[in-house]
Amino acid sequence: MSLMSFVGKKRNFLEESPEHCRQLKLPHPILTNEDIERLKAVKREDFRVATIHAVFDANEPDAGESLRKALDTLVDDAEKAINNGASLIIISDRNISPDKAAIPSLLATGAVHHGLLGRGLRGKAGLIIETGEPREVMHFCLLCGYGANAVNPYLAFETLFELRRQGHLPAKIEPTQIADNYIAAVKKGILKVMSKMGISTLRSYHNAQLFEAIGLNRDVIDKYLTGTSSRINGIGLDEIACDAISRHKAAFEEHPPGTPVLELGGEYLFRHTGERHTWNPVTVSRLQQAVRSNNPMLYGEFAQAVNEQAEKLCTLRGLFEFEPGKPVPIEEIEPASEIVKRFCTGAMSHGSISKETHECMAIAMNRIGAMSNTGEGGEDPARYTPEPNGDSKNCGIKQVASGRFGVTINYLSHAKELQIKIAQGAKPGEGGQLPGHKVTEEIARLRYSTVGVTLISPPPHHDIYSIEDLAQLIYDLKCSNPGVRVSVKLVAEVGVGTIAAGVAKANADEVLISGHDGGTGASPLSSIKHAGIPWELGLAETQQVLVMNRLRDRIRVQADGQMKTGRDVVVGALLGAERFGFGTAALVMLGCTLLRKCHEGACPFGIATQDPELRKRFRGKPEYIERYMFFVAEEVRQIMSQLGFRKFDDMIGHVERLGTNKAIEHWKAKGLDFSAIFYKPDVSDGRAIRQIVSQPDKLADHLDWQIIEKAKPAIENKKHTVIEMNIRNLNRTVGAILSNRIVTKNGPEGLPDNTLQVIFNGSAGQSFGAFLAPGVTFKLTGQSNDYLGKGLSGGRIAVITPAGAPFAAKENIIAGNTLLYGATSGEVYINGMAGERFAVRNSGAIAIAEGVGDHCCEYMTGGTVVVLGRTGCNFAAGMSGGIAYVLDETSNFDTLCNLDMVELESVWQKEDVKILIDLVQKHFDWTGSARAHQILSNWMDCVGKFVKVVPFDYRKALEKMRAAEQRNTETTPATEEVFYG
Amino acid sequence: MGEIKGFMKYKRQPTGYRPVEERIHDFKELELPLTPEQIQQQAARCMDCGIPFCHGVGCPLYNYIPDFNELIYQGNWREACELLHSTNNFPEITGRVCPAPCETACTLAISDQPVLIRHIEFQIVERGFAEGWIKPMPATKKTGKRVGIIGSGPAGLAAAQQLARAGHDVVVFEKDQKIGGILRYGIPDFKLDKSVIDRRLKQLSAEGVQLQTDITVGKDISAHYLQKQFDCICLTMGAGQARGIPVQGSDYENIVYAMDYLTSQNKLCGGDTIDSRAINAKDKKVVVIGGGDTGSDCVGTARRQGAKQIVQIEILPKPPIDRPDDTPWPNWPRIMRTSSSHQEGCERLWSVMTTKFTGTETKVSKIHCCKVDWVQQDNNASTGLSTGWKLKEIPGTEVILDADLVLLALGFVHVVHNGLITELGLDLDSRGNVAVKNFQTSQPWIFAAGDTINGASLVVRAIDSGRAAATAIDKWLKIT
Repeated sequence: MSLMSFVGKKRNFLEESPEHCRQLKLPHPILTNEDIERLKAVKREDFRVATIHAVFDANEPDAGESLRKALDTLVDDAEKAINNGASLIIISDRNISPDKAAIPSLLATGAVHHGLLGRGLRGKAGLIIETGEPREVMHFCLLCGYGANAVNPYLAFETLFELRRQGHLPAKIEPTQIADNYIAAVKKGILKVMSKMGISTLRSYHNAQLFEAIGLNRDVIDKYLTGTSSRINGIGLDEIACDAISRHKAAFEEHPPGTPVLELGGEYLFRHTGERHTWNPVTVSRLQQAVRSNNPMLYGEFAQAVNEQAEKLCTLRGLFEFEPGKPVPIEEIEPASEIVKRFCTGAMSHGSISKETHECMAIAMNRIGAMSNTGEGGEDPARYTPEPNGDSKNCGIKQVASGRFGVTINYLSHAKELQIKIAQGAKPGEGGQLPGHKVTEEIARLRYSTVGVTLISPPPHHDIYSIEDLAQLIYDLKCSNPGVRVSVKLVAEVGVGTIAAGVAKANADEVLISGHDGGTGASPLSSIKHAGIPWELGLAETQQVLVMNRLRDRIRVQADGQMKTGRDVVVGALLGAERFGFGTAALVMLGCTLLRKCHEGACPFGIATQDPELRKRFRGKPEYIERYMFFVAEEVRQIMSQLGFRKFDDMIGHVERLGTNKAIEHWKAKGLDFSAIFYKPDVSDGRAIRQIVSQPDKLADHLDWQIIEKAKPAIENKKHTVIEMNIRNLNRTVGAILSNRIVTKNGPEGLPDNTLQVIFNGSAGQSFGAFLAPGVTFKLTGQSNDYLGKGLSGGRIAVITPAGAPFAAKENIIAGNTLLYGATSGEVYINGMAGERFAVRNSGAIAIAEGVGDHCCEYMTGGTVVVLGRTGCNFAAGMSGGIAYVLDETSNFDTLCNLDMVELESVWQKEDVKILIDLVQKHFDWTGSARAHQILSNWMDCVGKFVKVVPFDYRKALEKMRAAEQRNTETTPATEEVFYG
Repeated sequence: MGEIKGFMKYKRQPTGYRPVEERIHDFKELELPLTPEQIQQQAARCMDCGIPFCHGVGCPLYNYIPDFNELIYQGNWREACELLHSTNNFPEITGRVCPAPCETACTLAISDQPVLIRHIEFQIVERGFAEGWIKPMPATKKTGKRVGIIGSGPAGLAAAQQLARAGHDVVVFEKDQKIGGILRYGIPDFKLDKSVIDRRLKQLSAEGVQLQTDITVGKDISAHYLQKQFDCICLTMGAGQARGIPVQGSDYENIVYAMDYLTSQNKLCGGDTIDSRAINAKDKKVVVIGGGDTGSDCVGTARRQGAKQIVQIEILPKPPIDRPDDTPWPNWPRIMRTSSSHQEGCERLWSVMTTKFTGTETKVSKIHCCKVDWVQQDNNASTGLSTGWKLKEIPGTEVILDADLVLLALGFVHVVHNGLITELGLDLDSRGNVAVKNFQTSQPWIFAAGDTINGASLVVRAIDSGRAAATAIDKWLKIT
């Protein structure tokens, strides 16, 4: 990735001339205060720099008009500067004074950028913003996204220097170093944001305007932030100007002695005088007291506090009101015990939260016939056995996320619903991250990873690059557990409706629209405030698109993101949701008070921690969650009674029953217009506005049914069975249903090794041998499509180049891309080359190929990979565990390997040599590979050419474990080392 | 935040007290401060919660507790001192006598021991005075408006300081010989040395607050005079009407109100002139009726005076050691509290109700009591929850206690109505407090704050009320 850019006058790009090079090359877009002074002092005829002033009259009675005039002047000034030959324009708010207020820097930037674009002049000069405003990553991203080529945040630097003078920063750090550190942090932040949006270079991000505005009116958007999505209108220049002037006045006003000049803010952490939060001392403590004492009155206080807070402009739904209907008696309304079945707890992994917390939620939700969610960390198989008292710790929803941690055939087979997490509302574009100190022995076991090694889920699913790929994964999952429902979790954002339509067409049974303000405990600070949008917007769009395209009848819709009260649920239902997720609320009931220290593993309530000492402090009980769900359902019933709905289903999608609460008279709320949210497509043809039919069953013609029939002796009596059959590439996901039947019948251990051998001839379709269970060997003579061995769970797959093929096996790709994605155990032998991303996210399988494409072993956390030939580039990117051996005949492997996380060494230690020779021998045994034969015959020559790839962290963890084993008389398990070592 | 898992690494270290044997022979302060290093460790226990309940619901002043903990952890005492003063005018007083609802609301109090917030506050402000950081902060601009403050307790002084800093001319009227109200005359010296008040008063004076003592408003000066002299006044005379005990014999002369008793000792300690009838517990059998903080102060004072025997009786049942369900976190818990005075020796009786006093003509010698039972009342039909508790005498449980001195520490009813309040003709609320709307009474030029409007409460609430009233007054003065 790169933050480098060129700034200056762009010329005709069909020509080449020395003048084309009169550009300023910036390594990154942040300029120091010296940089900007130096630029201002430039005296070159071919590179003129002009400064224009982004200030407006603070004393004019009509502030909005004053700002409007100033913006127009600013654009005129820019044009004049260009006409005078400037190729760099500095937009500066340096000369503010008691009478002159700063124009908000984004507005100034957008105005000049779009103003010049409109006049055909934007290419004539670069824009540099000299402003006191920006300090956080988002501010810089916005400025760059709306046209700034570079930014000088002078006040941020001055603040840092002042902090040093006051002793808050160590005096030994020089100011220049402080500035460098700050710039480094901002750079990282910008890169992070760009990566979330899938953009690699700042030059692509520049002017891309990848933002959605919430609460800005059309005039402001059209004129200054042209092309930005802004769906609910909102404030205009008048309000912006008033705000700017009130800040300005506050700065120049006299403060009585003893009062702090600056507020503490309370943006991220609650402060009484600062930003309002819906989770605050009152709501948290009332909720905890309500569920502990089973007191509906206290719940009522909680709900009232939340619902009132929401009206104080905390949420969009807070600004809605219900259109009254003809009330119905409460007794005639669907019972709460039915309504609670629509509720789910949020996807929080065992790992991010403790075993006790995770199991508590599962028990509670199972008791009330609702579902808890595993999150992406796998699940202990012991939980599939019910407790003696009848409780079950088995999560109804099992998540399949990009990391595929613990996604085995056994896991999949025990789900009622499988959820594909495309993204999460709180941190869209980012994968889950579990810091090493939370990866204990237990967690590592469940995730098939290594103790103490940080686990980072890749941002994308490596088997989803298109909606067709998603359909394939949905098909894979349905095969792994016939009858299971599959849901897809999306993030509310503009355009989510289109994606949801794709999800519906891809045969998913449910789509989840996740709002921006959920799950903030584990989110990076840069994601808490500005990533994602409210679920109200995403849900409304989803409902509208699905209904308009006649897809709503076959797919359920769920919404989540800081759902707290029955009112939230009813709003969600009217906007089109059938089901509802509660995440933070569930944790609060179990004792969470929002310390927001989840990532530190220091949760004193035993919730977001794996520390055994802290886990002992966990005091949650399933009853608390049960009670809460019923309180919420009762509140729903109360509202239904007022609105005149008897059945919950009758509410879904009836958005005409929502209106704008006109009683809210905040000066900034005046311009809001929710008609885009309240729009209801024409349904006069009787089309469905909620789910009424199931998705078609596509498993009927699956090849596995034939295999299962023939393999009965093996499945039922563990009798050695060999089956032979032909295969075509329309036979997809072969082996998954079979594996489901095997573990359902025989448990996770499956069958004894090689009990069932299936010999295929032909060309296998996608996901061949996906989730293959232990005891099954697939021998395929021919070739295979992508995703072979996906989620391999103990089975063995060999792909053999047909005898008499007119090509050398080691030089031809016979298996597609992304093999063994998320494999946890088993063996794969490819008698030929494999495509890109071989063994991506492998966490335990053995895989041998005779050559591989790019990105081999990406994000691998365990297992062993052997490559008996060429590799592509970027080998071992993000690899934090497992070992790879590569036969490096051309001695250039070090140039192909990504050395960020791994080191290379030769294979000389006895154990390594032994492992390697055994593996090559096996490869030969299962495939008859000529390549393997050749290597084994010349072993002494070949062994020296092997390179061993070991991740640093993995090596450290192994050493630690070995050390722990050697002093096993002491009672220090590796886990404790994680905490205290 | 301080230190990750600091709360696991360091235990809460409560402050110590001077040994009982030593301290009961004097009236000097008895708490032993921790060292700066110890304080830093205690501050390291703070987790800088996303929702700091200490600050958000615990502290009535919304002190920025996590923030000053962090500053102390980093060794930045000076800024901590500034930050502390930005919300609290008199942290040296709350740092000594506050029951610290912040600590019971600390999230660590749920499953561990709370952060030592009160003592950290104490240390910050004491360091501030020692280093000379706490200087007068006179207003930069005068408004020319005049405000009279009636009563020099914590609410009055806080309001006075805030108003003076906002540029108004402020005069505080105190009926007693010295400034401080309940701080000076209600709290024993062993908890709050009076030089601590004097030290702060110097700052107030330097900021232009005029402090006038020995003036009883309504007697020495009239309301009419006040109205002529001031743009507005603020009533902060506390809730002085003590609660009596309406049983037979309660008018014996050796049955006295706790506040009178404490005042007389405080005056003695402070060298004030007192009338000849100073109440002394020396060699007496003392019974304190009332189990609260004031009762406890009576116990400590009687012990220091050399009482022969001290019994404290309380009508409520003995509270549990651990927080009971009826006062869940972060509420103020109904738990057993043992003060330093209790440690100095006294018998405590619970669920005991006084039925009558008997004795000679003028003096009580026996207190007749009986045990009582607290029964939960019938459940509310709709909620299934109890509507409260009811007192029931247990027949045949009469106890007779010997007493040479009975101290009534039964709390306060409301502000004293006789005199100024009646003269001004102010509206009262249903509990007898002065009725206000945003600190303004039924007469627009008269504001009121503290116990006068809330009934008797904590010092910290009084300071908060005084500050808030000052804000309301400042706003009102700006528009009039």
